[in-house]
Amino acid sequence: MKIAYKHLLEHINEKPSIEEISDCLFQLGHEHEIEENIFNMEFTPNRGDCLSINGLLRDLSVFYNINTNQEIYTDKLNKLDIDFENLSQDICPQISFLKLEIDSIPSIYKDYLNDYFKDLNLNKNNFFTDISNYISYENGQPTHCYDANKIDGKIVFKELHADQEFETLLEKKINLSGKNHVFLLNDKVINLAGVVGGKETSCSTDTKTVLVECAFFKPEAIIGKSVKYDIQSEASHKFERFVDPESQEETIRRFIKIVEEHTNIKDMSLITYNYKKNNVITIPVKTNVINQIIGANISQDEYLTYLSKLGFVVNDSNIEVPSYRSDIETQNDLAEEIARVIGYDNIARNEISIPKGKISNIYDIENKLRFFLLDHGFYEVINSPFVGIGSSNSICVDNPLDSNKKFLRSNLTQSLLENLLYNERRQKDSIKLFEISDIYSIKDNKINVSKKLAIIASGRAGHNYRDFSKKISKKYLDSLFRESLPSENFEFKVLSRESLNTKVKNEIISCEVDISNFSTDVLSYSEISKPPESFIEYSPISDLPNSIRDLSFSIKDFKELDKFKKYILEFKHDLLKEVYIFDYFNNEKNAEIKIGFRFVFQSSDSTITETQVNNIIDVIIKHIDKIDGITIPGLN
Amino acid sequence: MSSNKDISAPKIIKERGSIHPINHLKDSIMDLLVSFGFEIVDGPEIETEKFNFDMLNIKKTHPARQMHDTFYVENKSNLLRTHTSPVQIRGMLEKRPPLAFISGGKVYRKDDDATHLPMFHQIEGILVDKNISFAHLKDLIYKIVHSLFGEDIELRFRPSYFPFTEPSAEVDILSSEGKWLEILGCGLVNPVVLENCNIDSNSYSGLAFGLGIERIAMLKHGVKDIRDFYKSNLDFLSQFK
Repeated sequence: MKIAYKHLLEHINEKPSIEEISDCLFQLGHEHEIEENIFNMEFTPNRGDCLSINGLLRDLSVFYNINTNQEIYTDKLNKLDIDFENLSQDICPQISFLKLEIDSIPSIYKDYLNDYFKDLNLNKNNFFTDISNYISYENGQPTHCYDANKIDGKIVFKELHADQEFETLLEKKINLSGKNHVFLLNDKVINLAGVVGGKETSCSTDTKTVLVECAFFKPEAIIGKSVKYDIQSEASHKFERFVDPESQEETIRRFIKIVEEHTNIKDMSLITYNYKKNNVITIPVKTNVINQIIGANISQDEYLTYLSKLGFVVNDSNIEVPSYRSDIETQNDLAEEIARVIGYDNIARNEISIPKGKISNIYDIENKLRFFLLDHGFYEVINSPFVGIGSSNSICVDNPLDSNKKFLRSNLTQSLLENLLYNERRQKDSIKLFEISDIYSIKDNKINVSKKLAIIASGRAGHNYRDFSKKISKKYLDSLFRESLPSENFEFKVLSRESLNTKVKNEIISCEVDISNFSTDVLSYSEISKPPESFIEYSPISDLPNSIRDLSFSIKDFKELDKFKKYILEFKHDLLKEVYIFDYFNNEKNAEIKIGFRFVFQSSDSTITETQVNNIIDVIIKHIDKIDGITIPGLN
Repeated sequence: MSSNKDISAPKIIKERGSIHPINHLKDSIMDLLVSFGFEIVDGPEIETEKFNFDMLNIKKTHPARQMHDTFYVENKSNLLRTHTSPVQIRGMLEKRPPLAFISGGKVYRKDDDATHLPMFHQIEGILVDKNISFAHLKDLIYKIVHSLFGEDIELRFRPSYFPFTEPSAEVDILSSEGKWLEILGCGLVNPVVLENCNIDSNSYSGLAFGLGIERIAMLKHGVKDIRDFYKSNLDFLSQFK
């Protein structure tokens, strides 16, 4: 909600700066951003009472002297003769109707009304709707204005269970479905209660006779409607968060006053229906309990003074909660009020003592498996559980985010296969992945859970010169895993590439094992590597293709060997992503060493060109060319 | 090929993999909290409305319970937990105070953009004992935040709203660019929740806190788009080893 600094300032005697008010608002828990002297407020959902100038001023009154000089019409009013029936009094226990006729429509607004539109950059609609919007901004109570000449029958408020098309005053046609609280005129919906009124009965710039409806609706009748029908509505935002159930007639009287300040009123009459009295909540004064909850030591006087400033009616034994504070019911609620006023940051820390719990071993086996796989070059992934294809025992999501993914996965392997293909498309030639996750399924109406480990691997066994030419196979993984965890059965299998959209021919090896199948022997595995202890600053990755170059060197003078290797392995260039030795051969008979280096190039902003790669390779070759006893076979 | 006797042979660097950065951070925070005395408890990701909402004082009318915020499964008979709090409810029903539990894992909400995903990770903790106050909660939160971001980090507490805590707070840290960044939510356990778990709220009080792992990981690693964590891109994952 947008609230202008200027509009707050008019009511604050101390005239604080915008920064001072901002600090107070943060202390009170009212998040906001400031743009050009406008507070863009984001209130927590329990503070519907703050969604107005007056609401915010009530909270700020603990810091400042507030003067809300908004006059209301106080004279006695004629009783309105209206044909109205409320068939859902529980949802709408209070409602007022005002019928008002004016002589002429004012062409100029008073400053305060004009400023509301100008300062908040809002569009005007028509005289009565403009007042309605202004009052909602001023005191938080929405009203709805019907053109009285278009109301030609009985108005009924009820919960409608039938589908009906309804055109809103914003000229949007919606199909009401399910259960909706509505106002009907001659059985036709004229207002989706608490959300938006209808076009057919709305006011226009020519309207001189208005029927103003001002109600309290229980939030449960309004919640979800604006989302369901995709309607941005200030009124529904307020009704969903609770408006003051005792403000309806006062709001109507404020409406009359504003009209009166702008034009001559020819005739008016009012009726207020109070079907159920609002319950007043009282809470006993227990300062010691408040201090105990906060961990502070405030006096009873201080405590009650704070509450009085916030609008609570207090005496020595009881605290009466104002009608607009639907969020206050308990001592803890009051403690939060006091903590906000003191300032959370001003509450001193008190050293905590935590009873020692038992050390859990529920994750020991899976953590050990993680370290084992880490040691063997596997990368852990985490996948979304939502998939498009389910099986007979898959769990179905009633309201998926994507209708093409309405099942929970019943295995991990399919996700890993997608991860593998994704990395193959990114030119990865050695892929080793694993995932540990719960899998859910349904059988005989019972939900079953099991924790699985799934592994997938394909391509080169590794990038070092010993593994570069070895391909990952079932035999390779069986042997590798058996060596370290001899008593565990991973049950590797080869996945077919037949139905996969890929030109890569490498075998895909996978397994998926229930964690409960592993024995405690796993715990005796002694890991070599640990995850990093400090946090790594991540470098954004490029989605552009790699370019690979291999260079093979013949070395006959070994004394420069280390220097040569160091130069290449530590060579830096923005476009050089990786360099490693993929081949090594020591021909002792000929006293010659052959080393092959692979260079992987990639740009972060454009597809790398042959020329760019050649230029970098030329720099390397020229440097090496100066070293005696090292040559590149085949290079002229 | 190479032989053991070949002293000229380059050292074979055995390639290590990496733990997923989200799991790594989750484990680090869990280890920290265990060192404070918290006990790890675990629970299902598919929950009932009773444990995910009702027991936590989240009323039927609360927006979080709407179909547009929560994933329901199997004709609304169950749901994907929207937070790890139901695990603590189960823990409190099983054990009498004093107690101190933490639980971590995947949670689900109907969001999908650069800073929100339908699946993300949380760690939540609860401590119930006699005379637990907001001042104790502050002490614990300071200890957690200082352990995660260093003793020099500046933090602030802001009043907030969670149905299961009262008073409730959100905690921000001051970034190196001078911006306040929200990192966790916390509060004193609402007495209604204690009573729902058959704990006498006149004798006991509690504190609770919850951290979103992805949010902290994005801050710690400088990752700008939350979706990067879940692309399973080896160029991304290989940076975290």
